Amino acid sequence: MIELNGVTVRYPNGVVGLDDVSLTIPDGQFVVVVGLSGAGKSTLIRTINGLVPVTEGSLKVDGVEVAGASQRRLRDVRSDIGMIFQSFNLVKRTSVMNNVMMGQMHAIPAYRSLIGAWSADEKERAFQALERVGIVEKAWTRASQLSGGQQQRVAIARALAQDPKVMLADEPVASLDPPTAQMVMKDLQRINRELDITTMVNLHFLDLARQFGDRVIGMRAGKVVFDGTGAEADDAVFEEIYGRSLTADDVLPGHA
Amino acid sequence: MTVAASPAAPARPRKPRPSRVLIAGLVAVAAITAWAAWEVDFTLGPLLENFSNGWVVVEQFLHPNWSYLGNAWTAWLETISIAIVASFFGVAVGLVFAYMASRVTNRSTPLYRAVKWFLAVLRSLPDVAYVLIFVALVGVGSLAGILALFIFNIGIAAKLTAETIDAVDPGPLEAADASGAGTFSRARWAVQPQILPNFLSYALYIFELNIRSSVVIGYAGGGGIGQLIQVQFARFNFENVSAIVISMFVVVLLIDQLSQYLRRRLV
Ligand SMILES: Nc1ncnc2c1ncn2[C@@H]1O[C@H](COP(=O)(O)OP(=O)(O)OP(=O)(O)O)[C@@H](O)[C@H]1O
Ligand SMILES: [Mg+2]
Repeated sequence: MIELNGVTVRYPNGVVGLDDVSLTIPDGQFVVVVGLSGAGKSTLIRTINGLVPVTEGSLKVDGVEVAGASQRRLRDVRSDIGMIFQSFNLVKRTSVMNNVMMGQMHAIPAYRSLIGAWSADEKERAFQALERVGIVEKAWTRASQLSGGQQQRVAIARALAQDPKVMLADEPVASLDPPTAQMVMKDLQRINRELDITTMVNLHFLDLARQFGDRVIGMRAGKVVFDGTGAEADDAVFEEIYGRSLTADDVLPGHA
Repeated sequence: MTVAASPAAPARPRKPRPSRVLIAGLVAVAAITAWAAWEVDFTLGPLLENFSNGWVVVEQFLHPNWSYLGNAWTAWLETISIAIVASFFGVAVGLVFAYMASRVTNRSTPLYRAVKWFLAVLRSLPDVAYVLIFVALVGVGSLAGILALFIFNIGIAAKLTAETIDAVDPGPLEAADASGAGTFSRARWAVQPQILPNFLSYALYIFELNIRSSVVIGYAGGGGIGQLIQVQFARFNFENVSAIVISMFVVVLLIDQLSQYLRRRLV
């Protein structure tokens, strides 16, 4: 369970990224966060795993306080939280396998990690993660040789190899074409259902938000301005969140 | 035919005058150079006067003793071995220092500062100075050359590699941090694959530098081809020196070409 209580995030330059946000996200929920550019979606996601520090308020992940946590404690919290990025963030010059191993590094002692001596268990876990996203045949391919969709699946496998309780995804499909975006979103949904991993995804396209969100959270200027089910999030609600009327750019092309 | 300018077009800007700062700078450079030449009583006179005396030497240089190349070969092997050993260990240790000399991989400010300072001190001396130091410590020979180049190489390898580390794609680092990876795993698996081609290229470049500096190294007592030249010079065997110098052109050129070819393929 993720609990935010009056969380405010102020960046060093004074910009308020989150403004007194309170949310409770129960285990296993699939949450989609929507909002215009600059609304604070990325800030919300990055605050949950401590990549952005909380300025005020309390943020607990499975009962562990993240606000003001030590570096040591933060690493423990993060090891239970997988993260997926818009630009995949793979190490392109190395194999898919080595990339997936990154997800397990928190549990591998430095002396083995430095020489790349993975145990049979660790390799097995990496293969299983790759199998879950249907890309195990690429295990020994260089990450740079994969398409965008394949790279994002490797990134999902990397997060899965962490054996996470929570999965955070910051616009995971924004750099993908519409059919690939659908597939990647379905992978995330399947993983959420099969492994009961609490999932929080930032999305730009409101049709994807409605299709996949058990719960949709709308943000504007660092505040939560809508919190309801995907079904409740009709066009009027989105116009309210966006503060403007909807345009064709707000839906995934060829899929409305 | 001229194109009539439309009446509304604004006046064309004039070419700006040369900057005064630039002119003042050029004058200052010329003045400093003139002062420096006067300070050392710079004159080309001796070059002309002594040239006639040196004709005998030039005469010998023009007739290289090719049979001496056999001896040169052994000395070259020694030089190349010195360069290989010093480069290998120098860049390996340099890599470790590079990780400590970049903010990307070293998040401890005191350690970062200390390493930066230490490397600056290492780089402040030229390779010959290290040879002189190690000759004093371990005596004349290839060991002094190896140790000197080793220390010298650490400084260069660490600086070049640290700059490359500073410029890596931060995406994988963010992913490593988000997964809770430790400092060592992060450096090894999020940074090292990104810098490896550049690092290997630096290693080859440093090997090139070590071959190039072999004359000075040997002259100062560090073994190899330079030492052979020094001995032959001292005995006034200029035909032998000439043969060595020619072999030097060939070897240095070949190694440079090979190394540059490999480096182009790397990056
Ligand atoms: N590292 C930072 N330093 C300073 N300000 C930041 C930083 N990151 C984000 N901000 C600011 O915080 C506010 C919220 O940004 P955030 O990235 O969370 O928005 P977003 O909803 O993810 O937008 P987008 O859809 O463009 O990704 C913006 O005004 C942004 O300029
Ligand atoms: Mg964002």
